[in-house]
Amino acid sequence: MNPAASGAAPLPTLLVIPTGIGCEQGGYAGDGLPAARLLAAASGCLITHPNVMNGAALYWSDPRIHYVEGSALNGFARGDLALQPRRLQRVGLLLDAGIEPELRQRHLQVADACRATLGLDIGPVVTTEMPLGVCLQRAASGASWGGLDRPELLLRAGEQLVAEGATAIAVVARFPEDPHSEALTAYRQGSGVDALAGAEAVISHLLSAHLAIPCAHAPALSPLPLDPALDPRAAGEELGHTFLPCVLVGLSRAPDLVPLHGPIPGGSAVFGAHAQRLHPDQLGAVVAPAGALGGEAVLRCAERGVPVIAVHNPCLLEVSADALGLDAMAARSYAEAAGMVLALREGVHLPSLQRPFH
Amino acid sequence: MKLAFLELPLQRQSGPLVPQILAALAAHGQPLRWAITAVRQESQGAILQIEAVMLQGSGPRSQAASPP
Repeated sequence: MNPAASGAAPLPTLLVIPTGIGCEQGGYAGDGLPAARLLAAASGCLITHPNVMNGAALYWSDPRIHYVEGSALNGFARGDLALQPRRLQRVGLLLDAGIEPELRQRHLQVADACRATLGLDIGPVVTTEMPLGVCLQRAASGASWGGLDRPELLLRAGEQLVAEGATAIAVVARFPEDPHSEALTAYRQGSGVDALAGAEAVISHLLSAHLAIPCAHAPALSPLPLDPALDPRAAGEELGHTFLPCVLVGLSRAPDLVPLHGPIPGGSAVFGAHAQRLHPDQLGAVVAPAGALGGEAVLRCAERGVPVIAVHNPCLLEVSADALGLDAMAARSYAEAAGMVLALREGVHLPSLQRPFH
Repeated sequence: MKLAFLELPLQRQSGPLVPQILAALAAHGQPLRWAITAVRQESQGAILQIEAVMLQGSGPRSQAASPP
């Protein structure tokens, strides 16, 4: 029996669920993952970003899913990068000097556990020269953003990791915390925005754009007091002492980023050795929340003629296809979006499935 | 090098959106991450609200945030 969902060739599909805008599905602790799994089965090849896949201590590894940080995802959507699947990355661990000794030890034990229990290649470990100084920000839209007081220290530590042999980087920065804040309470009860997510994206974008290798971020935080009313979508983040396991697993099989313009790191061997390279011209669809179509990856895809599937997934924003003047197919759920992707993959004309028939 | 948060209204012109946004952001540094977070209709046309984190000073060496 053929285990594939479709006999047709894979249809590389981009799944974007933007970080820090309170998406009902995918706005919490890796709760976009079920949608990603379904879309991976429907498409045979899904490219998506850590916010979708990261469930802190929970993760899912699927060879059809390519774990690509947002900045690199934009580069792929723009047509500047190809993705080269890789069996195993050597994941360097970049630790913020602002992490307290006990919390730091917890993170080092995650790295040990991933080596001993999952067989991953983790290391070296580099600590920044001084605390990075993460700051959090909320924009007028309500979206979470943030930044670093000392971005240059992040880049310097990343460079050191690459020099010592890392082919991917997991960053752990100490985040400010207020366990009694209204925003955190709302998030844990399933009605708020992930206040950390925007700053996390900025950190990983900065490092990934600088080093052009797979990067992802996990925040370092103290454990929260028990909340019996915790929303199940936020529960993944309360199972352990760190958010790091999913990042190490995701990065371990993240594809290499291969520039399509200018010099190629690693020389022509990067191109020559692998037939499985994923080129942006192969993209067959992009799936995104219907109210959050104004990010770079979706706009780039739309402007390159890649079909856009806009999924009902309420969030803070109302940047719809109509508002932007984009052509998009509306899906009421990720299950319907998966059906659309499968129809595109199989060459079934979507209007033929609709009634009344025109 | 420093990171700066930016909120910017932009009068939409005809044609592709991304080049318009990148041109508007370029005056403020190198865009690290940006999105259109609202669109409102006014008498002179659509106004796009852009939110962005900009890198100011010497920044990443890749092409990730370069104009198209």
